Amino acid sequence: MDPGTGMALIGAGIAIGAAGIGTGIAQSQIGAAAVGATAEDPKMFGRGIILLVLPETIVILGFVIAILLWLKS
Amino acid sequence: MLRPEGMTRAVVVGSIESLDGTIGCLYELGILHLIDFTKQDDEFKLGQPLQEASDASQKLLKLRAMIRALEIEGHRPKETLQVKEINGKIEQAMVTLDLNTSTKAEARQKIQSLIREKEAEIKSLDPVRTFGIPVEYYDGYENLAVFVGICKQDPEPALRAKVKDFELFANAKKSEIAIALFVKNEWRLEASRILTDHGFQEVKLPKLEGNPEKIMLRLSSEISDLEKDLKRIEADIDSVRKQFADFIIASEEHLAIEVLKAETPLRIATSANSFVIDGWIPTARMEEIRTALDEKCCGLSFVETVPREGEEDTPVKLKNPQPVKPFEFFINLVSTPKYEEIDPTIILFITFPIFFGFMIGDLGFGAGLMALGAVIRLKLKGFPDLYKLGAIILAGGLIASIFGLFVFAEAFGVPFHPPPDNLEEASWESVVNIPIHPMLEKMRNVLEMLALSFVAGWLHLTIGFVFGFFNNIHHSKKHALAKIAWLLILLGIFTELMAMGGNATETSKFMNSTVLAPLMPGSTVMIAGIKTAYSALALIAIGIPSLLLTEGGQALTEVIGLFTNLISYARLAAIAVGKGAMAFAFNSMLFGMIFESGPGVVGVVIAILGIVTLVVCQLFFVFFLGALSAGIQAMRLNYVEFFLKFFEGGGTDFKPLSYERKYSVATTK
Repeated sequence: MDPGTGMALIGAGIAIGAAGIGTGIAQSQIGAAAVGATAEDPKMFGRGIILLVLPETIVILGFVIAILLWLKS
Repeated sequence: MLRPEGMTRAVVVGSIESLDGTIGCLYELGILHLIDFTKQDDEFKLGQPLQEASDASQKLLKLRAMIRALEIEGHRPKETLQVKEINGKIEQAMVTLDLNTSTKAEARQKIQSLIREKEAEIKSLDPVRTFGIPVEYYDGYENLAVFVGICKQDPEPALRAKVKDFELFANAKKSEIAIALFVKNEWRLEASRILTDHGFQEVKLPKLEGNPEKIMLRLSSEISDLEKDLKRIEADIDSVRKQFADFIIASEEHLAIEVLKAETPLRIATSANSFVIDGWIPTARMEEIRTALDEKCCGLSFVETVPREGEEDTPVKLKNPQPVKPFEFFINLVSTPKYEEIDPTIILFITFPIFFGFMIGDLGFGAGLMALGAVIRLKLKGFPDLYKLGAIILAGGLIASIFGLFVFAEAFGVPFHPPPDNLEEASWESVVNIPIHPMLEKMRNVLEMLALSFVAGWLHLTIGFVFGFFNNIHHSKKHALAKIAWLLILLGIFTELMAMGGNATETSKFMNSTVLAPLMPGSTVMIAGIKTAYSALALIAIGIPSLLLTEGGQALTEVIGLFTNLISYARLAAIAVGKGAMAFAFNSMLFGMIFESGPGVVGVVIAILGIVTLVVCQLFFVFFLGALSAGIQAMRLNYVEFFLKFFEGGGTDFKPLSYERKYSVATTK
């Protein structure tokens, strides 16, 4: 394997890994707040889920970048 | 479908004598959503509860107290009781129950508190038990201070060093020391300080006389006598419980319904001689209520429709075919749509199982999910939400099985046939030859999976904007036009994605040559090293100024959002590939352990261990967690990407005057 390919694959790993960490940090705080809100009013569940899953887009973007890098390598 | 059930504003009016009958009739029909009367004037006032209200509520209150006393809150009678029987027996039963339950429950409470009191006395006497000093001697001195309690460390050395004239009784127990300290009044403060330093906790002695040891024995025997009494009373209460539990629960239900009906006039307008009940009735059932009132009230009350006045808070009753109904569960989780809004349940019915099935895409796991859904449907009829969820899992499992069988050709993460470039890979071929070859291999054609996901996303978002257009067209043409601008931008972004895909995937090739052909995604220009379709540029160039004109500058920031919305559908491919890879990893690690475990007992043990690990891993990580994440993601794509394009919600649920009888049966008059 040539060094370029290796670097691309490491880049792909960082793209999805770092994006995952970012999503995790965002979701941890939203999740805690959403659970609190749902405990007070179960009707908040749906809205809580919507807010909770918003940061997932970050990791999806990371995933797409990783795939593009992987296919280029 | 798409629209909730049509509602008609109607008033039921009649002479005051027929109020009782009319209310009964409306509750039985269960189709009138009452609008509370609030504007009182000289003519019309809020009604008075029906005569039977006060008597019924008193009985209900007593019955509920009995239910608590007998601890039968969770009791579910096996047989139903006729209302006639309840009404006939209730007076007599209430007297019997009052005698048997109320007095006994009171006695039980008294005995329980006595036992608790005596146990507390024993506990407080315990520290001084071994000192041999009568209890009354710990109190009532003029010149002496007495400390009784528990210390964490022995205070004697410190006391000896600093306090004169004291007498200390101590008894070490595990990590604590029980003490009784007698000091002269002048040393009281110093002694108290030393004791506090040694973790002293005071024990309040009961006001009793005599030797603590003997008192404790006496108290213990009193407790055991009381416990015998308690047992006897419990047995009596138990027999009452057995005899009356069914009757009490059924009567409680019946009386609760009676009170509900009797208090309904408090929500309606009445004058000296008439009443007016204002509400909403499903248009299709107007005739039903008309006939019923004619029959029951002999022409003394009748129903009239009222024309709509502008935008009203019309209650919403979703109207969907039976198979689609369970998916209303997802709508209820967020919010009820407004009456004027489109009800998107049917789209959820189509997209949720497809998204879910695509992500799971495995015959084995799909069949497992179907079985799980079927079990929930059969066994959990009493839990409405779970029951609906059962149907959703069943539908998702079915589509997952279809994807697994015809598209991905695999079961439990193992392909039907080994891939052509790796004939050594484990497959079902060695067990059974299934004559189906994969149309698409999850882990080898990731780009194809991505392209398919984007097509699904484009279609889904397009429907969202179309719904948005129709939701807005009646009250804001400008906002409706903005949805068309969004549609153009979305089409531009999608065309660009497909142009980038070009001939690299079958999906983009197909889309470019069919649906997108008029847009000529093939004619491109290189911008910043990216192949860009002219038509995509044109669509976005038309869409953005249109947005500026309709929704203003702020909307421009959301264009990037729309791009991420479409990219967001990549999760369909991501979960499908990730789940497939996980199943493949467990299989390839553990198949070696199982099939190449070697001969002899050790080999068999290793093989069994391998099988158990494989089953546990596949079941937990791939089946449950996979289904959970696929479910959540399929739900999210609907809630976030789809709903936010059109859905406002905040509608009022249709809650007609009605009741549910589970344990009592109304006799028809």
